Amino acid sequence: MFRHNALRYAVLVALSLAALFQALTAEYFGLEILTEILILAVLVLALDMVAGFGGQVSLCHGALMGVGAYVYALVSAKAGIAPPVAMASAVAVTGVIAWVIGAICSRSHGIYFIMATLAFGQMAYAYVFEAPVFGGDDGLSGISRLDLSLFGIDLDDSRSFALFCLAVAGAVYGASVMTLQSGLGRSLTGVMHNEQRMRALGLTVWRVKADVFGLSGMIAGLAGVLAAQHVMYISPGLLSWTVSGEALVVVILGGLGTLVGPLIGAAAFVLLKHEISAWTDHWHLVVGVVLIAVVMSGANGIFGWAEARWGGWLERRMADATRKHEQEEVVSDA
Amino acid sequence: MLKLNAIQSGYGETQVLYGLSLEALQGRILAILGRNGAGKSTTLKTIMGLLPLKSGEIFFEGKPIAFQPFDIAKSGIAYVPETRDIFPSLSVRENLEIVAKRFGSSGAVWTMERVLELFPRLGERLENGGTQLSGGEQQMLAIARGLLMNPRLLILDEPTEGLAPIIVKLIHDKLQELKNTGLSMIIVEQNFGFATSLADDVAVVGKGKVVWTGSSGEIRADEEVQHTWLGV
Repeated sequence: MFRHNALRYAVLVALSLAALFQALTAEYFGLEILTEILILAVLVLALDMVAGFGGQVSLCHGALMGVGAYVYALVSAKAGIAPPVAMASAVAVTGVIAWVIGAICSRSHGIYFIMATLAFGQMAYAYVFEAPVFGGDDGLSGISRLDLSLFGIDLDDSRSFALFCLAVAGAVYGASVMTLQSGLGRSLTGVMHNEQRMRALGLTVWRVKADVFGLSGMIAGLAGVLAAQHVMYISPGLLSWTVSGEALVVVILGGLGTLVGPLIGAAAFVLLKHEISAWTDHWHLVVGVVLIAVVMSGANGIFGWAEARWGGWLERRMADATRKHEQEEVVSDA
Repeated sequence: MLKLNAIQSGYGETQVLYGLSLEALQGRILAILGRNGAGKSTTLKTIMGLLPLKSGEIFFEGKPIAFQPFDIAKSGIAYVPETRDIFPSLSVRENLEIVAKRFGSSGAVWTMERVLELFPRLGERLENGGTQLSGGEQQMLAIARGLLMNPRLLILDEPTEGLAPIIVKLIHDKLQELKNTGLSMIIVEQNFGFATSLADDVAVVGKGKVVWTGSSGEIRADEEVQHTWLGV
């Protein structure tokens, strides 16, 4: 089950401060990169919840993100309904669709689960691509951002929108931790360790998997809403399986099943992409080499490697410091 | 309470049970004894729906047993496997809560407090991870987890497997305590002395069938059965 340790807290604080600093000081281009990182972070948190803690490697999370984006665009831009309602609708609809996909796919494992989710993703992609209501290949434009003028916040400003995305990413991280530490999260951990045992303990395994997949889908849908608001335009490419593939690369690069790792992975992936694409169009090649190096190293991604190296050491230092402090208190009391 | 009628089962194409029949009675302990590979654990896994029943019938409290493992568990049978299957990344408390929250209704006989009273050692280790427990503690946790399902029948597969003699005695005493509460149990065990000192009834399994049934006293007195089927 997910637990925080000293290193996880330290990395979280460092990432939050770095993001906050960037959001407050960066120019337009820097803010756009930060927003891209934060939206990807939300998506990979959703994916890590099912892949890292439930062993459900999904190749439809890109499509779920796309569903969220399209529902938001249709409800807000086409139907003219207020953005907060559109956001809630997008998250709810994506959650329901993800729950159904989870319920169906939960009966399969390994490669068959991956293929089943890929099939659902491709079905969604093909439907959105072909249905006129979604604008086909042209996509949908004229998507507005959330109106927070009541609170004196103008989200059309890049800096405000980046800070908004940072707040959303923080809330999603908190919600993910709460879910994984809840009874549902414990059951998910049990299912990942030994599905047969959990059945013998009276657990309806498919239901646990579907529930977590549904929650994860809601988060992916939220990432889609943010993506739609960010670019104010969406196209079927958002539902492509390559988006799901990239999200999986990010989770593995950062550290599967750590929650903190995928955040690092999102930052590393987007920064690598932008830095390398300034030099060559073949940036995927470099990311591929980095990913192979990470996988071949045997560590659980960048964060997994750091945790194996420094996690224990930091915990011991913290324990020593606490003991020393307690001893000093006892002496001063005496 | 639990009746098996000529059941046939096994692993894939390998058949292990060939028409095995036995009966566990209400409020009593049935020990299933036999040599390695005789089909004892296969019998338990078939009862729990973890292996497919190829033919024959299983009745629990007079009704055909459910098909799915989770339905069987919900019907009132708890199974403590030989491998104990403690979830390693969950703490002792979480391993217990995973079951307690599902089966802990207001009228539940077994609560967290009561299982910790039975196994005080677990109370001292509540925040320890599953992998930080000794073999004996893991067995206690596995039994405690089974009890939290508030079963009417508790099934234990090799509860003393790999445990030190002092822990074997402790487990024996705890199972005796459970017996005194009137809980029905089926125990599969290699340890002849342990099983016969606890059990009321004994079924000896050999070559996928029950080859002998009787009381604990009878099997202790029957050296031929012990020698032929148990190698004692």
